[in-house]
Amino acid sequence: MSKSSLRRSFVPISTFVRIDVKRLFRDRVAIFFVFVFPLIFLFIFGSIFRGNDEISFRVALINESQTEFATKFSEKIKNNSVFEVDEDVTTIDQAKEKMNRGQMEATIILPPEFGQIDPAKQYPTGQATVLYDQSNETAGRTLATVLQEVFKGVNKQFVTPSPEPFTVKAESTATKGLTQFDYTFAGILGFTLLSLGVFGPTTIFPRLKQRGVLRRYHMTTLKVWQYFTGNVISNSIVGLMALVLMFTTAVLFFDLNMRGSYFNLVFVVLLGTIMLFGIGLALGGWAKNENQAAPLAQLVTLPMMFLSGVFFPTFLMPELLQAVTKFIPLTAVIDSIRLIITENASLIDLAPQIGIMAAWTLVIYIIAFRVFRWE
Amino acid sequence: MKQGTPIVEVKELRKVYGKKAVVKDISFTVGKGEIFGILGPNGAGKTTTLEMLETLRPIDGGSATIDGYEVATNHDKIKAMIGVQPQNPAFEEKTKLSELIEFFSAAYGEKVNPKKFLEDVQLLDKADSYVENLSGGQQQRFSIAAALVHGPKVFFLDEPTTGLDPQARRNLWDLVRDIRKRGVTVILTTHYMEEAQLLCDRVAIMDNGKIIALDTPQKLIKDLLKRGFTKKQHVEQADLEDVFIDLTGKDLRE
Repeated sequence: MSKSSLRRSFVPISTFVRIDVKRLFRDRVAIFFVFVFPLIFLFIFGSIFRGNDEISFRVALINESQTEFATKFSEKIKNNSVFEVDEDVTTIDQAKEKMNRGQMEATIILPPEFGQIDPAKQYPTGQATVLYDQSNETAGRTLATVLQEVFKGVNKQFVTPSPEPFTVKAESTATKGLTQFDYTFAGILGFTLLSLGVFGPTTIFPRLKQRGVLRRYHMTTLKVWQYFTGNVISNSIVGLMALVLMFTTAVLFFDLNMRGSYFNLVFVVLLGTIMLFGIGLALGGWAKNENQAAPLAQLVTLPMMFLSGVFFPTFLMPELLQAVTKFIPLTAVIDSIRLIITENASLIDLAPQIGIMAAWTLVIYIIAFRVFRWE
Repeated sequence: MKQGTPIVEVKELRKVYGKKAVVKDISFTVGKGEIFGILGPNGAGKTTTLEMLETLRPIDGGSATIDGYEVATNHDKIKAMIGVQPQNPAFEEKTKLSELIEFFSAAYGEKVNPKKFLEDVQLLDKADSYVENLSGGQQQRFSIAAALVHGPKVFFLDEPTTGLDPQARRNLWDLVRDIRKRGVTVILTTHYMEEAQLLCDRVAIMDNGKIIALDTPQKLIKDLLKRGFTKKQHVEQADLEDVFIDLTGKDLRE
């Protein structure tokens, strides 16, 4: 293909993208579904997950230390009204299981060396660990602060050297310093990209077919790949706009902590948008009318939404299902967004998710090309 | 009008749906610069014939060439050479006329000045309107402009005047004549006999998938009279449409 004919084959694409993006902003219904609806969703979920001011904590106390101090300290915690100690739990594994099920907020671990008298310093030292589940991060952190206060009291009985002899270290079972909202945000964003990618084209393409618009395009020399590329680009532009809007809102109103790189975030969001749009393109491109497209769109999106951790964390699911969920396209999108925002994951860290998305994208677009019909 | 060098040549063209042949081995040629009409009742096979020539339907038998290229095997070449006005032209909503013209020319890999094309069909003042806000006649004219953006050699129109008022219909005839003047060959279908008689150089009359007559309208009428045909009624010097046009004028209403 010569240079000029190559340029000619991109003229339809660039022209389509320019007009298509403008067209979106003229359509109130589209604006609502692309920008307003996700924001409403964000505000509802954001408000639910922000407020979390519990006063008492259900905890397990695992005392691995034989020291006198540790025993005294355990008693103190058990008598403290802030803590509701579950006496049945004696091992970390039991504790983790209960935390996973949401029956307990955290586990306080006193390691074997806790409370041993440091021969050099002549007083007991130690570090207690607070273990909590990622789904209950607020509780875990508050608990750590409460313990810190308890220790401060204890510390004062001894000399006040630095470093303080008793300190507490908060450690999430999954990720450090994750707030509930940070966790939820990735799901909301994933949901938005899913509805943008699937519900958009499965509504629009069949409608255009029924009116004969696509048939009219087919009368020109426009190629399927040109039409697809144009649609993918304009959808990606719109997807990025929705991302910027939601991200800004989340930072301004819900104190979202962005720890990762914006470049990485844009990269995975783009990849996710293209992949999810391919699903819509395949369904909408195949369906002859909306009656065919609508139930198919539901059939594909609903299981994805439930299995990918948009609405509830995947670790609550049976193990077999958990193994499957990893490979669901939407899971990869949400997980990578979540890991970038909360853990500053690099693209190399995200290789499994990116690989899953790339593989799905390839498969989805091959199908979309095969089943596309102009009328 | 004498027929120029043939640009469209159709030989024993056939279309079969299931076991039923809807176009049965028809043959005709259309000369360069001609306005060629295909007439016939609904279901005669007019649209199917056009769609085969437009590369939209596979050809099941026989052959068709446009400007020397076999239609069945040169879809891209043919598409670049022809303009198409479908029976019910439809365009995306919330899109300005000027943008649609830009998009259609871009679909052929070209960039054009939309104003020139809109001016040709008297729609320059509507450049910023959306298609859905145009009248029926305006939509037909716009659809013609969109079909000509790439400078086709042959222009197909499928029932272009169906549903238009007499003024808009006459306006469209003028437009089609203008297009022919620019050297474009026109092939159209219609079931208005008056339209065929006034506009077409030659007509093919189709029924049941076959061409049952093919000649100039004048020759077909002469032949009929030769066979001894007389109209039962006394022929008036004017008809109701003449009255209507006389009373309401030829100006377009929209």
